[in-house]
Amino acid sequence: MKRRQLLLGTVSLMASAALITGCGSSPAATSAPAPTGDPTGTVTFWSSLAGMDKVAAAFNASQDKIKVTFETVPNGASGGYAKLSTAITAGNGPDVATIEYPQLPQFVSNGQLQPLDGLIDKAATLDKLSDETKALVQFDEKTYALPYDAAPMIMWYRKDVLEKAGVGVPKTWEEFEAAGQKIKAVAPEAHLASFNPNEAALTAALSWQAGAKWFGTDADSWKVGINDQSTQKVADYWQKLIDQKIVKVQQSFSDEWSADLASGAVVGVLGANWSATGIQKRTEASGQKGQWIAAEVPNWGSPSDAFYGGSSFNVTKSSKNPAAAAKFIEYLTTSPDAIKARGNTGSAFLASPGLTPVAQSAFDASYFGNDIYEVFNKAYSTITPGWQWGPNWDITNTALKDAYGTLSTGGKVRDAVDAAQKATVDGLKQNGLSVKE
Amino acid sequence: MVTQVPSVRGTKRPGSRKQRPMSGTGGRTAALFLTPFFAVFAVAMVAPVIYAVVLSFFAQQKSGLGFSEAKTSFVGLENYLQVLQSESFVGGIGRLALYCAIYIPCMVGGALAFALLLDAAVARARKLFQLLVFLPHAVPGVIAALIWAYLYTPGVSPIVSALESGGVAVNFLDHQMILPSIVNIAVWEWTGYNVIILFTALQAVPREILEAARVDGAGEIRSALSIKLPLILPALSVIMLFTVIGTLQLFTEPSIISKATASVTSTWVPNMWAYDAAFNRHNLNQAAAASIIIALMAAVLSWAVTRFSSRTNKA
Repeated sequence: MKRRQLLLGTVSLMASAALITGCGSSPAATSAPAPTGDPTGTVTFWSSLAGMDKVAAAFNASQDKIKVTFETVPNGASGGYAKLSTAITAGNGPDVATIEYPQLPQFVSNGQLQPLDGLIDKAATLDKLSDETKALVQFDEKTYALPYDAAPMIMWYRKDVLEKAGVGVPKTWEEFEAAGQKIKAVAPEAHLASFNPNEAALTAALSWQAGAKWFGTDADSWKVGINDQSTQKVADYWQKLIDQKIVKVQQSFSDEWSADLASGAVVGVLGANWSATGIQKRTEASGQKGQWIAAEVPNWGSPSDAFYGGSSFNVTKSSKNPAAAAKFIEYLTTSPDAIKARGNTGSAFLASPGLTPVAQSAFDASYFGNDIYEVFNKAYSTITPGWQWGPNWDITNTALKDAYGTLSTGGKVRDAVDAAQKATVDGLKQNGLSVKE
Repeated sequence: MVTQVPSVRGTKRPGSRKQRPMSGTGGRTAALFLTPFFAVFAVAMVAPVIYAVVLSFFAQQKSGLGFSEAKTSFVGLENYLQVLQSESFVGGIGRLALYCAIYIPCMVGGALAFALLLDAAVARARKLFQLLVFLPHAVPGVIAALIWAYLYTPGVSPIVSALESGGVAVNFLDHQMILPSIVNIAVWEWTGYNVIILFTALQAVPREILEAARVDGAGEIRSALSIKLPLILPALSVIMLFTVIGTLQLFTEPSIISKATASVTSTWVPNMWAYDAAFNRHNLNQAAAASIIIALMAAVLSWAVTRFSSRTNKA
């Protein structure tokens, strides 16, 4: 009996330990060498973005000095960042990785990315960008990534339902609430939009639009304001919509959400420019072609917007060939050929000026009832400046998502942002960072 | 969940002899055959565990804004303290205890009932029911969780809409229902498997004893409760042991369901807590400490269960 107990104990110990193995060896410390004239060699590239395999192939065909090997990885929500982070730490990560803006500072702070200063042609890349996008990739006066897309938050509506309820496209959040009430009057089962407890980044974008600053730096300390006044205003507003059943609390991209969009139980999507394909995919079969329109997100008085999503490309610490990797990143983010090669994969909106028209002509927007790119352009011009992401988005993301778990049984949005604030401050302090509330 | 290894002890037949390894060349041959196992075991099992233990005593400390290099320092038991002080970790253990309290009686009771029924059934029907009962276990855990997530989701699930049209509005995925919903998946998955173990043990019950009971006037129910049940207690305790360990490893089902509902948080059970620490919060040291704590809990519980069941077996 003794031996069996011991063995069983050991086996369970192994099983638990197996969870965290494979993430051990120390990061390969390669210091960034000075850029050489014409980098050569092979570069590995990880991305979860559709069509990036074609872009890599196009790059390989366009020159013969650098060869890019592409690998599809799961997206962030499906464990893509866990894989990337583990691989970089173990020293076998890719040369070029795709990281969304909220997660970027975390990779920088973990020392997993190489600064691009000295590797890239600043005049052709960074200097052409807007300040709002530049702020997303620069930390501690160094540049750690080149922005790919700049995704303005967009509100999508069913035009036919708005017309049936006799309301126009809401300009302000006040009008949005009124529109929701009117839709309820003509279709009691319908919701104007959904509130997505799994999308903390959307709560962030809504707060950003309202003028909140969740993260900021003050000398050598982080300032965390996840429950600041503007966010509280946003939280209370959405609570009101939830209580009136104007919006439905449901996970975005879930089966439930898809079914509700198809059936008309939800007639609007608070998303971004990239939501177009998702909406089309979920509603095409139920004959909603031509009914969906894009609109600027309702505002708090004057036109304003925020980014919701978007990715950047960067050179990882484990890259042995940062010069060639940087060259490829320049191609990815500034070359019209790269955009063309990607094909009709989605309604992209790109950070680098001049590229969006290329993406627009590659995307078939005939499913939609208005000129969606015109709306994107307008929305992009109203992004609220001054937003910064914090050093560990996953702590905030997890805390907010977890706190939203009780929304369907009487939990409050306001309590959730308070919980996220506390968890973030505690978590950052536990990592040794200096935090001011 | 870890795969459970069937290990069945029937009742000992009188007169069975203990086999002793032959002396002389036997030892060397045994060593030859065992070496590959222990080599892989050392590399894939022992080494990672030692590494995890080492990791759990260190911490990476950043400073200021955190953009400069982090320092690794020895912190003793601090990681363990942080894990045990974490509300979400302790909450996860509580949730797990509640899960056990619902799951174990349902599953073991169900398996026992099925096995006794099968044992009493007509021989021809037996094969068919055995297969039917075991079938859910042939479905991999991830797939099972996906199927059930679909069956639980309002607006998609035929079950939910059938209940709704019958006037019963229930949301299987909300904050209060989610635990029973996940227990249900596990019961569905594991009952059949344990039925087979118990049924095999029942087959080993000497028929002459049952006959004697019948002659003495015991009906089917009486002989099931007074004869069969005590004789399969060893098998029952093995099942309990594996179930307890399996329960501590709970991870697959809740993490799949968490995609469908916000009710399952990212730190819902201790294993998910460890995963979250390692791969979301990037705190490998804390994750290592959490894993060791989970393993220790499994060891203590296994010991308690074997201890308890060996005592009742003797009694």
